Amino acid sequence: MPTNDDASGHPVTRRTLVGGGAALLGATGPALAQRPAQPPRVKGPLVWLDMDQQELDDAYDQAVYAPNRDHVLKRCTRNSELVRARLGAPRRFAYGAGALEGLDVFTTKAANAPVNVFVHGGAWRTGLAANYAYAAEMFVNAGAHHVVLDFNNVLETGGDLMVMAEQVRRGVAWVYRNAASFGADPERLYVCGHSSGGHLAGVLLTTDWQKDFGLPPTVIRGGVCGSGMFDLKPARLSKRSAYVKFTDETEDKLSPQRHLDLLVAPVHLVYGTLETPEFQRQSRDFAAAAKAAGKQVAVSVMESCNHFEVMEQLGNPYSLFGRAVLEQMRLAPA
Amino acid sequence: MQHDDNTTRRTVLAVAAGGAAVAASGAALAQQARAKGPLVWLDMDQQALDDAYDQVVYAPNREQIAKRRIANSDKARAVIGAPERVAYGPSEIEKLDIYRTKQANAPVNIFVHGGAWRANRAEDYACLAEPFVKAGAHYVILDFTNVDDAGGSLFPMVEQVRRAVGWVYKNAKSFGGDPNRLYLSSHSSGSHIGGCVVTHDWRKDNLPADILKGAILGSGMYDLKPVRLSKRSKYVKFTDEMEEALSAQRHIDKLNLPLILAYGTYETPEFQRQSRDFYAAVKAAGKPVELLVGEGYNHFEMLETLANPYGLLGRAALAQMGLTPAA
Repeated sequence: MPTNDDASGHPVTRRTLVGGGAALLGATGPALAQRPAQPPRVKGPLVWLDMDQQELDDAYDQAVYAPNRDHVLKRCTRNSELVRARLGAPRRFAYGAGALEGLDVFTTKAANAPVNVFVHGGAWRTGLAANYAYAAEMFVNAGAHHVVLDFNNVLETGGDLMVMAEQVRRGVAWVYRNAASFGADPERLYVCGHSSGGHLAGVLLTTDWQKDFGLPPTVIRGGVCGSGMFDLKPARLSKRSAYVKFTDETEDKLSPQRHLDLLVAPVHLVYGTLETPEFQRQSRDFAAAAKAAGKQVAVSVMESCNHFEVMEQLGNPYSLFGRAVLEQMRLAPA
Repeated sequence: MQHDDNTTRRTVLAVAAGGAAVAASGAALAQQARAKGPLVWLDMDQQALDDAYDQVVYAPNREQIAKRRIANSDKARAVIGAPERVAYGPSEIEKLDIYRTKQANAPVNIFVHGGAWRANRAEDYACLAEPFVKAGAHYVILDFTNVDDAGGSLFPMVEQVRRAVGWVYKNAKSFGGDPNRLYLSSHSSGSHIGGCVVTHDWRKDNLPADILKGAILGSGMYDLKPVRLSKRSKYVKFTDEMEEALSAQRHIDKLNLPLILAYGTYETPEFQRQSRDFYAAVKAAGKPVELLVGEGYNHFEMLETLANPYGLLGRAALAQMGLTPAA
């Protein structure tokens, strides 16, 4: 389970409590909600766009804008258990030697079916595949296999995001090479992810599969990135750098927006209107950049949804998130 | 409303006490700071009971979810098209929206919306229709009067909804519906009305006793006594007759269909108890009933699960109709 832990200090807790007002007041958001707890504070020097350090830190701290974070995460964990109770336990395969280098496969009945690979979020530092199975039934009933990846978190990798990126890439390569073994069509492999998993899905979509894996550049036929990050510079400037050991190399290599030349699959971006300013901007800017580069890109904006409420709706074929994924795979919402 | 100031203050306290994540316990926490008054219902004093019939005390994201529902309903109409709007009675509000499925002679689900008997319109619930329409059922969303327009009486709403069900039965064929496969779904005060509908003696209206083949009532009220004791009596003019006639739990002898009841674990204590007690009473009467508990859902989040064929309510409603999400 995610926690309120924040290596940079205590303010998170205070702001989180205050953020609770955001839910009460509805769409008015943290601007209003923060008022009582942050008695007129002098804005500091700008560190990113029009934001000072605290505003940027807040914009990379979901709980400030989504006071029901733990409530929704708990629900997704519970709904994942219920999915397993209905569909049965997934098949578990190892894509690497590490304990967490494994993936769960929920298989559909159709033969040679398309496959969707999901990359979970959790600010790069929490989350397990077992708690992100809640959307499996939608995929399986619509005629697709659903793969949920496990991988190490950034606390386990000594702060290195490259290790995580490398793992999810190997996970996808494994699915491509072994698809036939569980009845999947390797030529219809799609990815989706949410939050930091949306970032990693963006990394997957801008991976040089030929050079790095000796695989065709079209390994991935389409991707849906929910509430993701596509340029790491502002994340690096934020308090997330207290636990992610950003380097110039990781910032550059893992900023999908800087590698649009490698983007060959259609990409669909999804975010909610109650997300942090940065988590809205990241998707908007990536979409604009991809479009300017002549790539196939679509955007769905989920009204009155915060970060975690977007995530939860992946399991609903009639939500903008579920719909985006199924439409991209040319499956009917079933 | 007279209690608005208190409610707002207590809600803010509840939120400050730990945010929405613990909203379910928020009101209780906030109350620890004050002396408990005389008990008015079970173990509750007046304020605790008032809170238990005031959703926002336990669901601080009420307005956010309402906004989302309205936005999603606009989007749903863009996908499935505008409904056919038909009058089931002479007054302006006595109309219903029919979202048609393509199948011929298809089953029909009739939805009764909530809103503390005071608020909301059929058009803002279109987001519920698509899973049904795609699964092969017509979805009918009722408009009906509200308690304020009805001078504080709940009878007109119940009478209208019963009449609307009769209209659907008699006119189902006109829109491709099978009159012998009518089902009901509802939420909140709509489930109170739904309870009154499923315990109605249809033969009095020259309609078949089994006019409805099943119902799923979410987050409802089935005994009006505690509601009458709560601050809701400020705007509902309860009478002994109303309390008695419109407490479904007191008319289980007329219940004639398989019933599904549901509530969320983050609902108010009373909105959890009402469903549990009604379930126990129906079961004790030997009638078919199922109780669904939405773990981690508050009052308004529960309704959102009806808009998802894999959600708690959506799944159950489709299964009750013998439909699967895969159309």
